[in-house]
Amino acid sequence: MGIGMMGLAASRSDLGLAALRPDLKRGILPVLAAATFLCSGLPAAAAGQHLEKHFTVNARPVVVIHNVANGRIEVKSWKTKEVDVVASQTSDKIGFDMEQAGDRIDVTANILDTSAQPRELEASLLLTVPEETELQLKTETGLIYVEQVMGDMTLESVAGDVHLKEVSGYIIVRTTEGSLVCTQCAGKLDFKSISGGAQVLQPALTNVSLFTTSGNILFDGDFVRTGLYTMKSGKGLVEVRFSGNDSFDLKAQTATGTVDNRAAAYLKPDSHGVKHLATKFTKGLFGTVGQGLAKVELSSYSGTIRILKRD
Amino acid sequence: MQCKDVEFVVEQEGFAPLPEAAQAHVATCSHCQEYVTDLATIVSVANELPAEVEPPARVWVSLQAQLELEGIIKTPAISTQGERSPWWRGFRDLFRSRALATATVGALIVAAGVLQLRQPPGGPAVPAGPSWQIPFAQTAKVLNEQEVDLKNIQLASTSPVDDSFRQNLQQVDDFIAVCERRMQAAPEDDLAREYLSNAYQQKAELLSAMMDREGSVH
Repeated sequence: MGIGMMGLAASRSDLGLAALRPDLKRGILPVLAAATFLCSGLPAAAAGQHLEKHFTVNARPVVVIHNVANGRIEVKSWKTKEVDVVASQTSDKIGFDMEQAGDRIDVTANILDTSAQPRELEASLLLTVPEETELQLKTETGLIYVEQVMGDMTLESVAGDVHLKEVSGYIIVRTTEGSLVCTQCAGKLDFKSISGGAQVLQPALTNVSLFTTSGNILFDGDFVRTGLYTMKSGKGLVEVRFSGNDSFDLKAQTATGTVDNRAAAYLKPDSHGVKHLATKFTKGLFGTVGQGLAKVELSSYSGTIRILKRD
Repeated sequence: MQCKDVEFVVEQEGFAPLPEAAQAHVATCSHCQEYVTDLATIVSVANELPAEVEPPARVWVSLQAQLELEGIIKTPAISTQGERSPWWRGFRDLFRSRALATATVGALIVAAGVLQLRQPPGGPAVPAGPSWQIPFAQTAKVLNEQEVDLKNIQLASTSPVDDSFRQNLQQVDDFIAVCERRMQAAPEDDLAREYLSNAYQQKAELLSAMMDREGSVH
């Protein structure tokens, strides 16, 4: 807006300058140029707005973030008993509320001007928290990135992706169209989305529930013995890549899609006495890998279910 | 009188004032004294609670959808008595009291459990009649009404988040249509029913999120 107004002012000045005396022109022009230069720097200064706060905590803190603006939320950990919050924003049309109540830290990004343009509503948060921290993060369009945090977490996003690396706990992820990439996660994972996909890579998860209406699902890793794994996609691909040492019972079903079994050599008939059969309405694949200690249920209404042993 | 008698009397008649026999027991029983003191504290705190705000309509929509999807309630038979208020309006009235709400949810869960136990092993008994042929019909009706209302409100919005909501709502609607066609062709397809159930659940949650955003941003 600063640039726009300055541009308008300059145009008006240009119109009037033709009528001015040459000596006056020489005096005004450098002033106008300097003013233009200074004013054009105003948005850049706004873009660099940073706010940093430290909160000392005692035990395992709970950090709650609600970011209604567009932007990234990044959470990393350290061994210090402090929560460090760095907020940056592109304009003064966003305000941050931060408060501490014991070991609970609340951070909320609020829109101060509802007429603001989307690019004026970009606000990013960088948090450094103790390794054992519970998180409740909610954003609309930005990426949520969490690394090396141990604790239960609920992560919600509309269109932003969620990337988790080396996190553990009871992990709940809800998105509308954002996708999840969970690398080396441990504990329990519950993911639901409409069009977002999920990739679970090298996990040590004992309980997995993934559901998406139209996204794809990829599980690439080991199944923990006694673990329960449910992966369902309405229209997308559900792909599982297991290792030769895995031990699980498999139940895969699709209504109108296909089952692509690339692991026939490893899949034996169920050895636990229960004979599974697909209904007349579905195509199914049932069997056991190894001793069948974990339980894996895959389904896709109209997409493909692919199961293969990774190299 | 014994402790359990005091509990019974309190449950039936309240504790202010206690009958004489109960008072005599409480005077000599530390357990019952604590019990009565705790109750008095709870009542005192409850009296200080602010007046309850009636929950927004979407709460009832989501609740109804969830109950119907879980099979706790069924789509009612087609009314022959002309237009009546939706059942959930009555339900909402019932829920105005927190105690009644708790009791009602408990009763619904117990009823659902009893109904499930009474199911013959061959599968759920499906009564004949048009109202049972369309799964989740009442949920669909309520959600569709909510959707129309929301679309009317959101027509002018160009925000990327609203766009995302609209596109995903369309995706869910399309998927619901696919599942419903399948259910019409093969009503016993459990997988299709499960996906249809999930799709309605997602639609209810999505509409709820859209209404929340509508309330907080605009």
